[in-house]
Amino acid sequence: MAAADDAHLLERLLKGEQQAYKELVSTYQSAMRAVAYAIVGQRHADEVVQDAWLSVVRNLAKFEGRSSLKTWLLTITANAAKGRYKLNRREVLLDDLPSPHGTIGDDRFSPDDGHWAVAPYAWHQDTPEALLTEDELRDCLEHTLLSLSELQSSVLVLRERQGLALEEICNLLTLSLSNVRVLLHRARLKVFATVEHFEETGEC
Amino acid sequence: MLTCKEQVARSSDYLDGQLTFRERLMVRHHLMFCANCRRFIRQMRLMQATLKMMPDAPVKNVDALAQRLADERRKDRKDGK
Repeated sequence: MAAADDAHLLERLLKGEQQAYKELVSTYQSAMRAVAYAIVGQRHADEVVQDAWLSVVRNLAKFEGRSSLKTWLLTITANAAKGRYKLNRREVLLDDLPSPHGTIGDDRFSPDDGHWAVAPYAWHQDTPEALLTEDELRDCLEHTLLSLSELQSSVLVLRERQGLALEEICNLLTLSLSNVRVLLHRARLKVFATVEHFEETGEC
Repeated sequence: MLTCKEQVARSSDYLDGQLTFRERLMVRHHLMFCANCRRFIRQMRLMQATLKMMPDAPVKNVDALAQRLADERRKDRKDGK
């Protein structure tokens, strides 16, 4: 959302206009949930988002527009999450859970020369619209997203769906750039493997 | 020259603009000669665009939440905040 839109929405929010809150929640709740999910996990993500919303309303008059509204909301969410639950994820940070259709792993390449042993299958569809007309593929993708670790899934959502810069993800989740890069790459390869599997077999 | 396996390992960094100039040239060079890897990168981009376009799950109880937040704000406003 552009700065001018932010300013206009903010004005209506300050007045206490219910419709403006509805727009705010509909636009930003998914991104906020992804941040909360990454930090406190699935069990507490919803509570954290609720806390964050109340904190947003209480601090609304102090929002100065130095960052975008989205960045501000996500920072509040990250702080709400970190304040409430002690971060203890060193051991789960790079956990790599198995995914329904695997990944693009070492077994796809020849051990001798590193070339493809099983080349990438050519997908039938070449636009996202065409791919998404298949309801079954959509369900299949959702299933794969749920199979990812909480961090992998959140980093993927924040990057691909919310369009956040890598640095912004690092700051919100207090992760190093190299960890974010690893999380993102592993998540993408699993999603890739899911689409490939679906395109090849027609089933999930 | 990079192997396909090395190209795939660098693919996310390539797509995110995280490679150094030299690494980027190496990936481009590999892609120039390798149809399988070109297909891989093209389909990675397609996968990204597809994720982006997937519809959001609708927020539950959005009306109730919006009303609660609006009420909170009006209360603060009355208190002069």
